[in-house]
Amino acid sequence: MNGNNRSVRVRWLWRLAVLGAVVFGGVAVATGAPAGQSGPDTGAGQRAQPVAVAAQAGPRIEITKHKYSRPTLTVPAGTTVTWLNRDEDLHTVVSTTLAFKSAGLETDEAYSYKFEKPGIYEYFCTLHPLMTGKVIVK
Amino acid sequence: MNDDSAYARDAGSPEVSGGDGVDRRGFLQCMAWAGTGLVWTVAGGVLSSRALSPASAAEPALDFSFVQISDTHIGFKGEANKDALGTFEQAIARIKVLDPAPSFIVHTGDITHTQKAGAFDTVTEALKGTKAERVFYIPGENDVFADGGKEYLSRFGGPAGTGWQSFDYKGVHFIGLINVLNFKAGGLGNLGQTQLDWLKKDVERLTSSTPVVVFAHVPLWAVYPKWGWVTDDGEQALSYLKRFGSVTVLNGHIHQIMQKVEGNISFHTALSTAFPQPAPGAGEGPGPVKVPAEQLRSVLGLRDVSYVQGKSRLAIVDSTLA
Repeated sequence: MNGNNRSVRVRWLWRLAVLGAVVFGGVAVATGAPAGQSGPDTGAGQRAQPVAVAAQAGPRIEITKHKYSRPTLTVPAGTTVTWLNRDEDLHTVVSTTLAFKSAGLETDEAYSYKFEKPGIYEYFCTLHPLMTGKVIVK
Repeated sequence: MNDDSAYARDAGSPEVSGGDGVDRRGFLQCMAWAGTGLVWTVAGGVLSSRALSPASAAEPALDFSFVQISDTHIGFKGEANKDALGTFEQAIARIKVLDPAPSFIVHTGDITHTQKAGAFDTVTEALKGTKAERVFYIPGENDVFADGGKEYLSRFGGPAGTGWQSFDYKGVHFIGLINVLNFKAGGLGNLGQTQLDWLKKDVERLTSSTPVVVFAHVPLWAVYPKWGWVTDDGEQALSYLKRFGSVTVLNGHIHQIMQKVEGNISFHTALSTAFPQPAPGAGEGPGPVKVPAEQLRSVLGLRDVSYVQGKSRLAIVDSTLA
């Protein structure tokens, strides 16, 4: 398993916080501010607590109806991106070069990955390969 | 209510009359509503249908029968079925009371939902409790996504360890294919050249009169490519089978019954025991569909297939858990 994996159970109680973070993260990216720095880096292999992720200021990509909500996302290096499965189905987030690989995400589970280096990171759902997306790191 | 009948929708093949004024779509809708069985009979490539009735008892003794069970998704706990283990166990109970007992059982994949520890064991233990001599497991994408098929192959990979395999039983040639390994971004169900080469060689020695039955998880024909309900090199595989007088392809994956006939090849997708999925193109995408609790068991089920030697035909009975 990739050391940057951390799947966490998202709870109803902090969904609002997550939504708020999505908005904040979006603004941060739009203004070129270094998103993700205010959130605690939970480190490789550690299991993040839901609250910690909610507090992370990083862009969120939601999965609904077999689609990634932001199929192309541009972020500065050092940004932690979080994928949140809002679908009833099981999904994954796996880099085409295996640079990162989530576990199976059930409903309301999330996965985060910190993009350290600039580049174009293409990814897809290994269960439903027509679901694709990319993160452009500048 | 319209949604309900959609689960048993016909795949767009020519409507075939059962000789009693009720077309196939009509029969399938009846089945969805009443939860009764339906027999499909394939004879020389011509498909006909009739409802299960006492007259069935007058048929000649069956040489053997087998059961197809599919998409049990052990570990699923979504809204579409809060008790997927319970409905799975109900399907097992149905198999146990089949008379005559099936010679073997084929599981056409998505044995587990998340490939979590113990999920495969739940299924293998439950199926051991049936009277079937053997159980063949074909993987779905949910069975191999986490480890690239390692656990599946170590358990069910067969003598060659590849997973794909064939066997002969009472004059019928059975082939299990794997089209869920090595999914590529933007891709679809895929068999791969190595497996295609194996298949070509596997059927070369057979006479064209040998009945052939093929199992695979993702449909081998294009049910709905937009949702990935197709195998992109499925046509290649089918080209090796076109010379046979009777080919029956049994798939899972889409959690609903669909049929199509192309020459001497008939295609059948099966119900899940866990949850239904939308009809192709209905709604924004595939995935579990929540139906009213009282309707759930009418959209879940299993399949009993019987073979009569010398007649080159398979009788297929889909029954729901209702």
